[in-house]
Amino acid sequence: MFRTYQALKRNGVIGINERNVRFVNSLNARKFLIRVDDKELTKLLAKDAGIPTPELYGVIKNARDMRRLAEFIDHSDGFVIKPAMGSQGKGIMVVDGPLKGGWRLSSGRRTDLEAMKYQINNMLSGMYSLGGQPDKALIEYRVKFDDVFGQVSYKGVPDIRVIVLKGVPVFAMLRLPTAESDGKANLHKGGVGAGIDLATGRTKRAMQHDQFVEIHPDTGYPLEDIQTPYWGDILLMAAKSYEMTELGYVGVDIVLDRDKGPLLLELNARPGISIQIANRVGLRFVLDKAEALGREARTPEERVEIAKTLC
Amino acid sequence: MKINLRHATILGLVLIVAGAVIFLIKSSVLHYPLSPGERTTLWDFELYLEFEGRNEPARIEAYIPAGDVERAFPQEEFYNGSFGLSLIGENGTRNRKAVWTYRYPADKKVLRYAVQTLGETQSTPLPLAFRESEPQIIPFEADEVKRQAFIVWSGNLRQRSADDQSFADLALKSVFETRADNEQYADEVAALLDEGEGVVGRLVLAQQLLQSQGVPARIAGGVYLSDERRRLETRRWLEYHIDGEDFRFFPSDAPDRFFTIWYGPRPLVSADGVDDLDVQIALRSLDTSASAVAANTPGPLGDFGRAVGFGALPLTTQLVYQVLITIPVGITILVFLRQFIGFKTLGTFMPVLIGIAFRETALLNGVLLFTLLVALGLTLRFYLERLHLLLVPRLAVVLIFIVMTMAGITVLMTGANQAIGLSISLFPMVILTMTIERMSIVWEESSASEAIKQGFGSLAVAAITYLAMTNSYVEYLMYQFPELLLVLMGLCVLMGRYTGLRLMELWRFRALAN
Repeated sequence: MFRTYQALKRNGVIGINERNVRFVNSLNARKFLIRVDDKELTKLLAKDAGIPTPELYGVIKNARDMRRLAEFIDHSDGFVIKPAMGSQGKGIMVVDGPLKGGWRLSSGRRTDLEAMKYQINNMLSGMYSLGGQPDKALIEYRVKFDDVFGQVSYKGVPDIRVIVLKGVPVFAMLRLPTAESDGKANLHKGGVGAGIDLATGRTKRAMQHDQFVEIHPDTGYPLEDIQTPYWGDILLMAAKSYEMTELGYVGVDIVLDRDKGPLLLELNARPGISIQIANRVGLRFVLDKAEALGREARTPEERVEIAKTLC
Repeated sequence: MKINLRHATILGLVLIVAGAVIFLIKSSVLHYPLSPGERTTLWDFELYLEFEGRNEPARIEAYIPAGDVERAFPQEEFYNGSFGLSLIGENGTRNRKAVWTYRYPADKKVLRYAVQTLGETQSTPLPLAFRESEPQIIPFEADEVKRQAFIVWSGNLRQRSADDQSFADLALKSVFETRADNEQYADEVAALLDEGEGVVGRLVLAQQLLQSQGVPARIAGGVYLSDERRRLETRRWLEYHIDGEDFRFFPSDAPDRFFTIWYGPRPLVSADGVDDLDVQIALRSLDTSASAVAANTPGPLGDFGRAVGFGALPLTTQLVYQVLITIPVGITILVFLRQFIGFKTLGTFMPVLIGIAFRETALLNGVLLFTLLVALGLTLRFYLERLHLLLVPRLAVVLIFIVMTMAGITVLMTGANQAIGLSISLFPMVILTMTIERMSIVWEESSASEAIKQGFGSLAVAAITYLAMTNSYVEYLMYQFPELLLVLMGLCVLMGRYTGLRLMELWRFRALAN
């Protein structure tokens, strides 16, 4: 046990305790957390910072707004309803499009307006929000994901998680949904994570359930060496999030849309640490290096250049 | 960042040290016992004086125990009636006298003095004032005949002894042995003792013998703490001190425990101007916890000990704190399990609250009840899901259902003569409701296995904290030494700065260990 501890320490693996104390608590000022916790605010700030996000169709804050639901969801190419302050993908409802007087969910099941209202009411009463405070529901554009990862995804939307330390992208990972994760890209639900080489944007080997894997468990395609399109843009978007949020340690979630390219989905002020397994390297040394190098860099572009030299 | 770390470490250590210091003072200086149920016998000593007033000025003097550095009597009581009371300290002997006076008492009068004492044993050191007195040779003074006899006798004893110690042994033996056994000095003893003088006379003689050789000696008076009686005799013995060693010589059988009241040959009580004086000494043993005795320690240190404790609160409040004070222990364990082991629980402090609820039901019943209620509640919750109720009303329905289930269990169990039904009244239904809600969300959003895992994790933590919080040593130590809260606080501060890996993260990141 002690040997394992020593080996992990030597490899720079950080645990939740260290993440919280050294990075989340000391780099992320509390007053700025609302910028990432409230996804509506995130969208507004991103727009100002020139970072593209999925288009917002409408916001429901109370029962009065609910009357406009039908109007907000009038999109034949589908939409997403999500709690503005949800975490870990809780409460998100992805609707593919209309189906015989009702709507079809991405899971294939049929739903109706009534069920949607119920789900939104749950969101409003804070069922999915941190600490259970009253929340609002966002209705936004459903991402039509790029086929580039089609062979290594099972249903759902793959996304790219970039960890950004004081504006320097330090770690990146491609998160892929599996049958087990029920189409969600969350690693703790059984999604696959593949580390991405910061310099090239190509995937390295991958992990699922904290173990290394070589191929996607459902599709069987190798996970290694897939080129992420728009890699330069993605790094720049991630780097720009620093000016936008003023948070020193964030996880930036980006999706690739077939037509619109990379879109900022959400930011996370407490990004998970499984990314270390996906990249097969501990975070500590890279974070230390980025912190030292990042001091001289002023612009997002400069910081992206630093990011490419990190590994 | 670095400064924060040092600051927190120092704060944590300061808290721990502060708590530990108070704890050590209370345990080793004030002798608060370290384990529950340590019991000692405390004696209720009572001096009861009854007499007939003669309608003339009366003065009753009684020696009462002197409190000082080595012993103290915080709970002395005087019953004076209409008499005036003055307390007089005698210089040198460290005696204390109660003097009751009244101008014209008539009829029957009663005076009373009572005190609680632990008593002394043979190994109790003699009073400091006595031990530290300079040894001095006090010559024997009497008429010429007696003086000659004394000098010859003591010279003879001296010749036959090697040192002060053997001299004292010899002297006491010769003074107290009966005439038949003591042929050698029987005549001297007889000559020096006045006719009719009892034990006190012999003790005076022995004292004089020792003092003539420069051995500090004096007569002590008191009672033996061996039996519970209403009319106790006072006893006399000799205290002397040779070469840094204390000795007590009891003319009659040596008692295990005794209680020194006064020094010198004079009687305990003397009275003027009254008739039919009846002196009663009563003893009653009180079996009491050692902590109660420690809590009576006098002086500023004793005040300090009492200040850091709950002894002054009303009994019902004390009982509440007896429970409350153990909660931080459970919380600290919870922090450890989360920060160092990596347990996942439903809600931050929920397991500790469940653990507190187990207090009412005991562990096994508590676990069964918890599992049963959560299982039933979850079933209802999944049914309600279909009705599309709003969050707060839905929570209310679950809560009402929980209360109904609890009531139902109580009724059923009482019918079956099971006591556990009655004990669930305090089961925290709000916490149960929230647990059910959280669990059902985890169930839907993650998986059933995850929800059950977290549910059992919470239950395990609840059981662990329950066992810790109800441990009789933990209860006793926390209640008796509330300063340990500072230690717990310090520990939590230190744990809050632990940035290393958790035990479960070793498993999680095992792939990266090589």
